Amino acid sequence: MFGISDPAIWLVYLLSILCTIGSIVFGIIYWNKEDENDNKEK
Amino acid sequence: MENFYMYLTVMLYFLAIAFLGYLGYKKTHNSKDFLIGGGDMNPIVMALSYGATFISASAIVGFGGVAATFGMGIQWLMFLNMFVGVVIAYIVFGRPTRRIGAKLKVSSFAEFLGAYYDSPKIRIFVASIIFLCMPLYAAAVLRGGVFCMQEVFGISFDLSLLIFTIIVASYVMAGGMKGVMYTDALQAIIMFCCMGALVFGVYKSLGMGFSEANTALEAMSDKVPESLAAVGHQGWTAMPKWGSQQWYTLVTSLIMGVGIGCLAQPQLVVRFMTVNSTKKLNQGVAIGCVFLLITVGVIYHVGAISNLYFMVNDGKISIEMVNATDKIIPYFVGRVMPTWFVTVFMLCILSASMSTLSAQFHTMAAAAGSDIYGTCTKETPKKKDKMTTMIRLAVLISILISYLICYVLGESSDSPIIAISTSLFMGICASSFLPAYFCALYWKKATKEGAYASMWVGVIVTILLLLFVHAKEASALGICQALFGTDVLISNGMLKFVDPIVIAFPLSCITIVVVSLLTQKKKDAAA
Repeated sequence: MFGISDPAIWLVYLLSILCTIGSIVFGIIYWNKEDENDNKEK
Repeated sequence: MENFYMYLTVMLYFLAIAFLGYLGYKKTHNSKDFLIGGGDMNPIVMALSYGATFISASAIVGFGGVAATFGMGIQWLMFLNMFVGVVIAYIVFGRPTRRIGAKLKVSSFAEFLGAYYDSPKIRIFVASIIFLCMPLYAAAVLRGGVFCMQEVFGISFDLSLLIFTIIVASYVMAGGMKGVMYTDALQAIIMFCCMGALVFGVYKSLGMGFSEANTALEAMSDKVPESLAAVGHQGWTAMPKWGSQQWYTLVTSLIMGVGIGCLAQPQLVVRFMTVNSTKKLNQGVAIGCVFLLITVGVIYHVGAISNLYFMVNDGKISIEMVNATDKIIPYFVGRVMPTWFVTVFMLCILSASMSTLSAQFHTMAAAAGSDIYGTCTKETPKKKDKMTTMIRLAVLISILISYLICYVLGESSDSPIIAISTSLFMGICASSFLPAYFCALYWKKATKEGAYASMWVGVIVTILLLLFVHAKEASALGICQALFGTDVLISNGMLKFVDPIVIAFPLSCITIVVVSLLTQKKKDAAA
């Protein structure tokens, strides 16, 4: 994958891209969501 | 004419920094503003500041050079920085830290642990470790920035050191956390744009796509010098041989040491307390990950790819072109990119240094001024009023200590103190602070006795291993050699290449669990 044959290397690129996409999705979903615990503390 | 634009760009940069420092000063009215930006910082500023603080010049130039020499295996550090240093740090650690910190009304990492465990002893212990060990780490980062300024302005080391120290000192003392975070945000944007442009420039220069270049680099694995193959190097698109010296160094020191150590770095943890809601931390996760992918991900990748470029153009690999790992990235950028970009890249490295350094100075000052002075002196109304002044004074003292260390060491690149500084601080933070910090967030049975014992175990074991077992620091310091006539106590086998964190951290974890369970009754009785 990605022109690299060592799985330990192409895996890290794959995981990094997935982690970034996951964090963007997380950010979009939770961008305006208030946390219940924050509401309790108010 | 080129020099004129270069100086103009650098001057504009410093003017922008001065303006942001001044903005921080105008918005700082009390010690809470100075220590945690008032607790209501903008989440984008917080996330950019976190990223910029995380990534110093050594990540770009130092680890970039490691990637150029040893290949893409270092990308595991980038992944751990993202997954552990941002995702786990923000979601698992950051959210409860912000909530508990707000409830306890604390303004520093040491105060957080001290207040949670109801132990001024713990607060002073943590603050003392920070104040004793961080100046060395700050001196190493300071040197990186000074070398960069020398390159840009062509001035002496001593003059660069003085100017650089005065600049950073000014906006940290004046602007406090707000000044530090505003300047960090600008520096993060510079680093992000610079690395984004670099990756396009490199591939345009190569005339190949991503996979095609990787395949061509893989085909070069027979060009690895014998000396590097002997320590485990198998090519720039492969991990080092399992169980080899290079494998242990890469996995235990670089990946585990830095990848896990980042969780308990006081200057990063305090940033979770600068925002006033979990929502703002959630907003920071994506910004942090994207920032790390583009900054460190790019520099490690182009570091490895530099071998392909030099082989095609000069018939040599990167380490054969410049003979020093730290010089590969600046040399490669100078060859591949236009002249104006080299100035921008210098600013990028300067930004990386300044953002990390300002956070270090601020953290040391908080430890000395707020935690140690604040705990050891009587609580009076007058003391509360002058706390901000005391912390500013502590900034000055912290900066002077780091400046003096750097001044005394000079330009020498083989100082043993610099060699150990980063690993000492990261190792101690991970082994000494992390178990107590994690338990404060998630294990109600942790007692102050357990936390205190685990901190001592973490510090002592880390220092002993650095002095007598781990080859890199033990041989540089020479104490083991002086006492026992050998560089390390256990020279057979691979233990000398295993990072102290692998041993000290589990021991510290076991200590907090065992001692907490043994002192549980005392805690229940007190309750």
